Amino acid sequence: MSSRVCKTCGGSDIDVDQARGSAVCTGCGSVLEDNIIVSEVQFVEGSGGVSSAVGQFVSADGPVKAPLLGSGFHTSVGKESRAQTLQSGKRQIQQLGSQLQLNQHCLDTAFNFFKMVVSKHLTRGRKTEHVIAACLYLVCRTEGTPHMLLDLSDLLQVNVYILGKTFLLLARELCINAPAIDPCLYIPRFAHMLEFGAKTHEVSMTALRLVQRMKRDWMHTGRRPSGLCGAALLVAARMHKFRRTVKDVISVVKVCQTTLRKRLTEFEDTPTSQLTIDEFMRVDLEQECDPPSFTASQHKAKMQQLEQELSRKLDDVEGEISCYKDEIESELEKSRPKLRGIYAAYAKELDPEDSEVLSVASEPEDPDVEENELQAAAQHLTQEFLGQVIQEEEGLGSKTDVGKEEEAGAVKEGSVHQRQVASLDIILGKLPTAASLQQTFIESESSDKPDDEQSESGELDLDGIDDQEIEKYILNEREVQVKTDLWMKQNAEYLQEQKEKEERIKKEKEQGTYKEKPKKSKKKKKELVEASSAGEAIERMLEKKKISSKINYDVLRDLNSRGTGSGGGSSPNRPPSAGPPDARKKLNRRRRRKTSDANRDLAANASLMGKRVRLLISSTPKKKKAANQATDQEENLVTMATDTTTETPPEATPDPKPQTGPTPTAPPAAGEEEEEEEEEEGEGEGEEECVSALQLVGDYGCEEEEVF
Amino acid sequence: MDSSNDDALDIIVSNVVATFRTRCHLNLRTIALEGTNVIYKPEVGKVLMKLRKPKITASIWSSGKIICTGATSEDEAKQGARRLARCLQKLGFKVRFSAFKVVNVLAVCSMPFAIHLIDFTKNNRPIASYEPELHPAATYRIKNLKATIQVFSTGSITVTGPNVQNVATAVEQVYPLLFECQKPLCE
Repeated sequence: MSSRVCKTCGGSDIDVDQARGSAVCTGCGSVLEDNIIVSEVQFVEGSGGVSSAVGQFVSADGPVKAPLLGSGFHTSVGKESRAQTLQSGKRQIQQLGSQLQLNQHCLDTAFNFFKMVVSKHLTRGRKTEHVIAACLYLVCRTEGTPHMLLDLSDLLQVNVYILGKTFLLLARELCINAPAIDPCLYIPRFAHMLEFGAKTHEVSMTALRLVQRMKRDWMHTGRRPSGLCGAALLVAARMHKFRRTVKDVISVVKVCQTTLRKRLTEFEDTPTSQLTIDEFMRVDLEQECDPPSFTASQHKAKMQQLEQELSRKLDDVEGEISCYKDEIESELEKSRPKLRGIYAAYAKELDPEDSEVLSVASEPEDPDVEENELQAAAQHLTQEFLGQVIQEEEGLGSKTDVGKEEEAGAVKEGSVHQRQVASLDIILGKLPTAASLQQTFIESESSDKPDDEQSESGELDLDGIDDQEIEKYILNEREVQVKTDLWMKQNAEYLQEQKEKEERIKKEKEQGTYKEKPKKSKKKKKELVEASSAGEAIERMLEKKKISSKINYDVLRDLNSRGTGSGGGSSPNRPPSAGPPDARKKLNRRRRRKTSDANRDLAANASLMGKRVRLLISSTPKKKKAANQATDQEENLVTMATDTTTETPPEATPDPKPQTGPTPTAPPAAGEEEEEEEEEEGEGEGEEECVSALQLVGDYGCEEEEVF
Repeated sequence: MDSSNDDALDIIVSNVVATFRTRCHLNLRTIALEGTNVIYKPEVGKVLMKLRKPKITASIWSSGKIICTGATSEDEAKQGARRLARCLQKLGFKVRFSAFKVVNVLAVCSMPFAIHLIDFTKNNRPIASYEPELHPAATYRIKNLKATIQVFSTGSITVTGPNVQNVATAVEQVYPLLFECQKPLCE
């Protein structure tokens, strides 16, 4: 009911009559509107005198909830894609949410998240399932419901980390800061599942206190909250004299036994564990603990320190015993020449490389292995140390053991008593260990040799590369042979597969059924143009292919016309082996096949078109004669009829069509049927022209064959 | 020990990943058969070659693109790459060393204090994210440096970035934030 201006008089005084539904200008009396549509609420009297408003509620999501007249739940085809996405998303959310027992408010929030996600195009490339799960989990987190990501992944049977990835991404994109997970949230849920009966509440309370204590003791950072809950519940249950085994708890909480045990051990290490039950319920210790992994690493650091101290002390002791060692050393060197030979070489090299090895490998490459050995060595040392101090003069016996262990544990590490101990140990020591040492020594020896150049310390010339060393990387001929044999044997299956594949391809090539390439070109063929003449067809095709805007179509057409002149002359010369229309048809059919082949080839090698046109232009007259001969041959072939496969028509079976009634059973190309029809029709109109064009195209065909 | 002096913190670079091209087609079979320390994976289409001296593992594709991992510094990575190219040259390919680029640097660093991850995440809301169900560390991504820092509750952090300089800068940037949320040691 906007006050409009009357068209006739320009007056703005318009009288709108609701009853009649008409708008009239009061100035000039012209009727502006006759059937005004009113948007007012109407009331209807229902049964029992109740008046209700007429109309339906239309939800903002689109016509989802108005399935009138039994159209029911169909997602109608007419809807737009976005509405469909939202609708299906809503449905899935409802489904999944009800399985999780989320209330309607949560589901609506989740749907809102989903709408946001869709509008930001984050659903692209992701499974809707994952996105929906992530939205639901977002809601769970913001509302603080005791649902874990694990639950969702259980329902969907999807890896939890994949869901987590999606969830993190969505949270980041939607700028939703989900509050951190509090293990306290899960306690009531798990307690309920563990079935404590009437005492569930008490047990939950105890477990809650435990979890809070754990939090203060820094056990909860970086850990899954469910693990903590499991441990807390287990202890709480025992405290209230319920017998719940570890297995029960882990089936509810979904962590593994090892995790639970570990949490329990960690809790054991805290001072709170020393309290009695009553004390625990009443008292809260103020002292806080360090996180368990922190204490573990500190423990390691302490062990290392201890080891260093001990080694230093050993050095002191060694100074006192060295004289005895020298004597024994000389004695035993005489008795074991073999070993010495190898170790002499090493021992000699060891001197200049002592410092290198020390500096280069201060941190051993396998810290874990070495640390364990160091620990063992340290333990051994502490035991032996006392004995050593007491038995200085006999210290050699224990010393060598200790020294050997150290040596075994730290081949590359620099300790001061290296060389002497090395030779002493090996000579004195037990053979098995010496043998193992041997191997390690040989390795280090061979790698030490190229070390001579010391390129690791930063030789960065252009050719700062040791060729000798590089040569080591290349096997000599015999080695290559051996390796080849090995590799062939190993990968025999794979090679076999490759061979078969190649053979298959070869066969297909010979048979002409090499399918790989034609697959693509087949599709292209179907796009071929419908045109009334071959020349037009070529033109259109060129345009379509957008080969070149530089092709002069006029020249093409001229070719046509020129061809007409010469072709028209030659056509009556042709032997009338076939009756005019039928024979022509057959002829043209054959030619058309050639045309189609030619066109096919053209389509396949569109870029060469320009070249060919030029070539044709230059050599058309010669080709015409050749074409004539070719066409003569064709005619003969036609008369012989039936399925001679001149070229390679791998095409589909022929569709008998009324126009092609008298034709032989030569299978026309499936894609070219239309073209053939068209050309036949065109043929009726201007035979001469068509013939010449065909000749032209026949030229193309010949050209094709020559080129190929 | 260390107050807020970053230089005193040891940033240990544990891995440097670099790529380069040889600008020529490589026959993987030849390399596989004539080289020591090579693993040929025909299904994937690459050869793994391990060098001993700068301890480097290189993935070599037949197109001539090579990825080197395992070096402990950028220089080492370059040296290793050159060594590898020389090795391929000796095998008979016309190798040219081009387009060398360090793609990723991984470093670890240890703070002398433990860190309260939940506080840290709360303070740095959108940039940091912590999901204990998925990973025990909080992830802090610095966009302009393109560096990602993973913070563990024990105080150790791992930093990944496109080059060593960025990594150092990232550590410097994040140090004060971590210092705020530290957990005082009691033992």
